[in-house]
Amino acid sequence: MISRVAGCCFWMHRYVERAENLCRLLKVNRSFLLDVPEGVADRWFPLIIVSGEQERFAELHPPPAGDDGEIVEAYLTWEERSPVSVITSMRWARENARTTREVISLEMWETLNDLWVDLSRGKARRRYDTDRDTFYKRLRDGCDLFLGLSEQTLLDEEPLDFMRLGMWLERASQTARMLDVKHHTLGPSRADRESPVELAQWSALLYSCSASEAYYKRVPSKPDGRSIAAFLLQDPALPRSVLGCLLRARATLERIRTEGRPELGDEPAALLDGLIDRLRTRDIDTIFGQSIHDELTNAIDTTAAICASIDRAYFDPGDQSALLVAS
Amino acid sequence: MASTRRAVRDDGRDSKQGARGSGKVRDVSEKRRTDERRSDERRSERRAEKHRGAEKSAKAPVFAGYEPLPGGCYDELFAGAGKARPAIAPVVRQLDQLGEHEVRFRQRLADGAFLQSGITFRVYGDPRGTEKIFPFDVIPRIVGAKEWDKVEKGLEQRVRALNLFLADVYGEERVFKARNAPVSEAIVKGSTGYLAKMRGIRPPGPKHVDPTYVHVAGIDLVRAPNGDFLVLEDNLRTPSGVSYVLENRLVMKRVFPGLFAKVKVRSVDAYPQKLRDGLMSLAGEDSTLAVLTPGHYNSAYFEHSFLARRMGSMLVQGSDLFVHDDRLYVKTTKGPRRIEVLYRRIDDEFLDPTVFRPDSLLGVPGIVQAYAKGNVVLANGLGNGCADDKGVYPFVPDLIRFYLGEEPILGQVETYHCSRPDHLSHVLANLEHLVVKAVDASGGYGMLFGPRSTKKERKDFAEQLKAAPRGYIAQPVVELSTCPTLTKKGVAPRRVDLRPYVVTGTSTWVLPGGLSRVALKEGSYVVNSSQGGGSKDTWVLASDDAASDAQEAGE
Repeated sequence: MISRVAGCCFWMHRYVERAENLCRLLKVNRSFLLDVPEGVADRWFPLIIVSGEQERFAELHPPPAGDDGEIVEAYLTWEERSPVSVITSMRWARENARTTREVISLEMWETLNDLWVDLSRGKARRRYDTDRDTFYKRLRDGCDLFLGLSEQTLLDEEPLDFMRLGMWLERASQTARMLDVKHHTLGPSRADRESPVELAQWSALLYSCSASEAYYKRVPSKPDGRSIAAFLLQDPALPRSVLGCLLRARATLERIRTEGRPELGDEPAALLDGLIDRLRTRDIDTIFGQSIHDELTNAIDTTAAICASIDRAYFDPGDQSALLVAS
Repeated sequence: MASTRRAVRDDGRDSKQGARGSGKVRDVSEKRRTDERRSDERRSERRAEKHRGAEKSAKAPVFAGYEPLPGGCYDELFAGAGKARPAIAPVVRQLDQLGEHEVRFRQRLADGAFLQSGITFRVYGDPRGTEKIFPFDVIPRIVGAKEWDKVEKGLEQRVRALNLFLADVYGEERVFKARNAPVSEAIVKGSTGYLAKMRGIRPPGPKHVDPTYVHVAGIDLVRAPNGDFLVLEDNLRTPSGVSYVLENRLVMKRVFPGLFAKVKVRSVDAYPQKLRDGLMSLAGEDSTLAVLTPGHYNSAYFEHSFLARRMGSMLVQGSDLFVHDDRLYVKTTKGPRRIEVLYRRIDDEFLDPTVFRPDSLLGVPGIVQAYAKGNVVLANGLGNGCADDKGVYPFVPDLIRFYLGEEPILGQVETYHCSRPDHLSHVLANLEHLVVKAVDASGGYGMLFGPRSTKKERKDFAEQLKAAPRGYIAQPVVELSTCPTLTKKGVAPRRVDLRPYVVTGTSTWVLPGGLSRVALKEGSYVVNSSQGGGSKDTWVLASDDAASDAQEAGE
């Protein structure tokens, strides 16, 4: 497929996945805070931190705005100047879809267009003001419908593979960010002394990854932070775990390589393999605590490097006439 | 555990089907669809009832109060108040019987459908990239079968002649050497669309047929007061709008399903396939076709994407392409891939920075050389601008006679070319009755609209004319025909034009109908979408007899 278009496919799914995750996080954080006594935790600002938006947010909303849930929520949902807000992600998801209309299906386009029309024409804004949980749920449902439709309406070929690749990599990075919220809210965890508030937050994180029920199936004993962190970080069967997402991204990249010129994907494949190995072999008992934050930061940074490497290999290849001479 | 779950699901499905008393899923869904339509219709009736004023009768016919404009301008549907044109009268009656409120309701459905499907165009100069819906009027413009057949023949003839003309201008130049040359060399070569660099280059294609320059033509037509279609303008470079024709029809079928079942309207759906076939007929069987767009910020991007989708081709931008060894390639995730046919929607001057504008980022360096070597079909051909130039337009009827030895089937608007001294003196003497246009300008620039000009404006313009007579043509004011259109105050006459599309590969095909643009403002002649214009579906009847059948069936 055309290099540029492959990039649009990749980014379209990244943006939808990003918006979807942010909706999860915002919704769960709200309900988590209802259980937390005032003053115990840094309540909203961690969401800004894990989104990498401290500087821009501080410019637009000088402290102590970061303590104000309304401001943080509005920023992460509606701020068009933020590159990661829900509205920005949805705008760019649709823009990429518009650019690849000849690749995606009518159903996918209509779903994304409906979501955008709803968001940009005031109706959703009123829902946000009056019934916020429904607002986030609708958006999430729309995003999930879109992602599901791509599996159901597209040929199981290259364009879909690039969409999946974007989705898995974005999801890996988002789950890592979600896990990091804990670090920024309540500080480093200690396995031997876990407060009820900490446990509540670990449970909230499970919930934002739609992983509570799966966790109870996996871990029959009393829930604790350590096993929840291990589950969300390392369980290969969990579709939102960092490792699980990376493994799926790796398999997708392999499909792309085998069907095309394998050597084009050598660099991103090597980077992915490195990160997967590292996560797989880390012992949760040694990293739980302070160094889990470093581990997550590494995962987020390496995922960004993988995306940049995919971009160079497939989406922005520069001069291809060398390949022509070679063949 | 998994198997239990599957069993439950299967049970559920079975019992559902059992309850409906049908084993066939398709039957159920079809029934549901009919039910839905019926309930839609009932709902729309209830709505209509709610909005209906007490004084209005239950089913006020659509055209009850309709009166064509006085003053002899042609109305597309009515010969006079209450008198539908005979060839299309049965269809007009079908529409009429729906009632105005029903039609208004369907109009709202149509507007919703356009928004939902995201069929929009970009408004230039808006940093936020606002998109607008192209306004659409649900009352169709209806053309009888016989009169369309004549238009079709006329268009085919005109395009055939223009193709031969272009091949000649860039080839032997017979036209300039003939004893009674139908057009002067100076006018053709003085046109901004003439590309001297194309001399001697034969567009790629089979050698046994005349070369094709005009793969897609949009020939703008207007209706004279006597009902004749006249050519107003030829568009032989990158005519746009055809996607609206196809989308308009889809939406019309969605909001008037019953009507389409009763009336036989010629289908427009074949266009993308015909375009694909036409373009591919000029290259080898297993060639690759791509559509070249300037990008998604272009106002016609929707159309570029639409056509690529419907032709099953790639949609590329200049930066996706490169030329190596005089062959055109697209950069793909699996390395370069050769392209043999390019339907380009970029103007000539932006196509190749090594040949034309060096600052163009939209084009592909070296593509003209690949074209000259016969390695890529470019549609439309390069240099077509000298054939649809306003300065050449007055001579097209003579070109038809010259190349084909036939009389033109379609008339055109009487035009004075100021380069001819006798025409110039006539124009100068009658400025207040004429529209004077600069040949190398479009969009209403460099123009004098005589009847609405001041004495001073005419005096100034006369000076310009005398200084550079070759740069101007003049035409009498064209009375555009009108078509009944839904307005806030009821159904009223609004001006329309028509752009049919003509596709030529090794043979020519004319899309039945075309884009009917309508000036939605009362009294306006401006049909452009940027200035308050909208569009209508154009119905060409399968046959005039079929229309009479429908009349019998409907009664």
